[in-house]
Amino acid sequence: MSAITVEISDLKVSARGDDMLITYALGSCIAVIVHDPVRKVGGMIHYMLPLSEIAPDKAQEKPAMFADTGIPELFRSMYGMGCDKRNLVVKVAGGGALYDDKGLFNIGKRNYTVLRKMFWKAGVMIASEDVGGAKSRTARLWVATGKCTIACQGEEVEL
Amino acid sequence: MSTATEILAQVPRLPAFPASAARLAELLHDERAGAPEVEKVIRPDPALTASLLRIAASAYFSPRSRPETVRQAVTLLGVKRTFEVATGAALATMLPSRLPGYDMDARAFWLHCVAVAVFSERLAKEVKAKCPDLLFTAGLLHDVGKLVISSFVERQAGSILLKSRHGMDFSAAEREVLGVDHAEIGAQVAVTWRLPEPVAWAARWHHRPGEAPANVDRSLVDLVHAADALAISLGLGCDTGELARSVDPQAWQRLGLHVRRMELVASEGLEAVKGLAAALGEVRGTK
Repeated sequence: MSAITVEISDLKVSARGDDMLITYALGSCIAVIVHDPVRKVGGMIHYMLPLSEIAPDKAQEKPAMFADTGIPELFRSMYGMGCDKRNLVVKVAGGGALYDDKGLFNIGKRNYTVLRKMFWKAGVMIASEDVGGAKSRTARLWVATGKCTIACQGEEVEL
Repeated sequence: MSTATEILAQVPRLPAFPASAARLAELLHDERAGAPEVEKVIRPDPALTASLLRIAASAYFSPRSRPETVRQAVTLLGVKRTFEVATGAALATMLPSRLPGYDMDARAFWLHCVAVAVFSERLAKEVKAKCPDLLFTAGLLHDVGKLVISSFVERQAGSILLKSRHGMDFSAAEREVLGVDHAEIGAQVAVTWRLPEPVAWAARWHHRPGEAPANVDRSLVDLVHAADALAISLGLGCDTGELARSVDPQAWQRLGLHVRRMELVASEGLEAVKGLAAALGEVRGTK
């Protein structure tokens, strides 16, 4: 098995049966994890921020930094590998928050809100998710099986 | 002996800060000191020379030209910036491979330190604050107390995590369980190493900027507090406390911060953080 690390503000897609996509330390960032069980293709993005309008030049350079430019890019990459939207199983993890009663620092919540809006518009269903809380998560996706796990606070569970 | 006393007793047992870096700190106070004096301190130390040139050549410090000699680096960076680079290089070589109590390796620790240093400076620019003196170094060394307290945190990890996972700020949990936190210990380390005052201030108050006494540069501790929150939130050098850190709303208010400004700083600073962490990683020999 070879592990492919998805860095912050990056996305990866693979159709190799022995690949496992992994991303570490999802705090307020979000991972969208997509799997096509028919074509046996897996994809993952680790985006950092909700909207690219704050830095359009950065979005051009690194679309995976933002939800609004990165998520469409992830789905396009999946379609480029021959996937059909109807077959895609979509999972979501991250969007954590610091202890912040006044909600001053709500990047995680903003990241999640934008994602929900985009999925609602595009008719994408979320199969399962693990979001929010003062947590840091590590997400793994096995390309062959679509098995997806989240490791957090010393435990690893299937998503 | 209480646990806190036992931890404080460990501070002088840390390896001594490299003499050349300490000498540079003294030159900061000497108004007559210029490039030739700084060069005289650096050149006899081949390790410092090599790492200074490597870090000084990074895009963050030298976006336009690449210094090839110590003289060029010092002329390009100036005395203060040379000290900041040299301190980073010195500390990079002193790190243990793991901080067991925080469940992080040296690489993750450095990533966090560099992220806080870079974000602090970017935030100052974003809120149009006058950049406080030695902000970069203060940001880089804000968690230096973790080097001392880590093994004690490991022994009491269960109790500390129980509190931090139920709503208590991680450093407050350290104080409750150990009687002292990494912030206070960090300030002691800065004093022991004779580092300039801003380093001790940022270390001491980065989790509780509102409690800093009047003689402390409040803007400095506010900026390091906000930069630390941003780095932790983005998972840049995550530790066992995960996101269990409090945000001080007063610091936000004093700086005039809001979430979009933080997002802008994150988007603009990320590449610099990665680049500089890699340059420091090379100094450490981890890459």
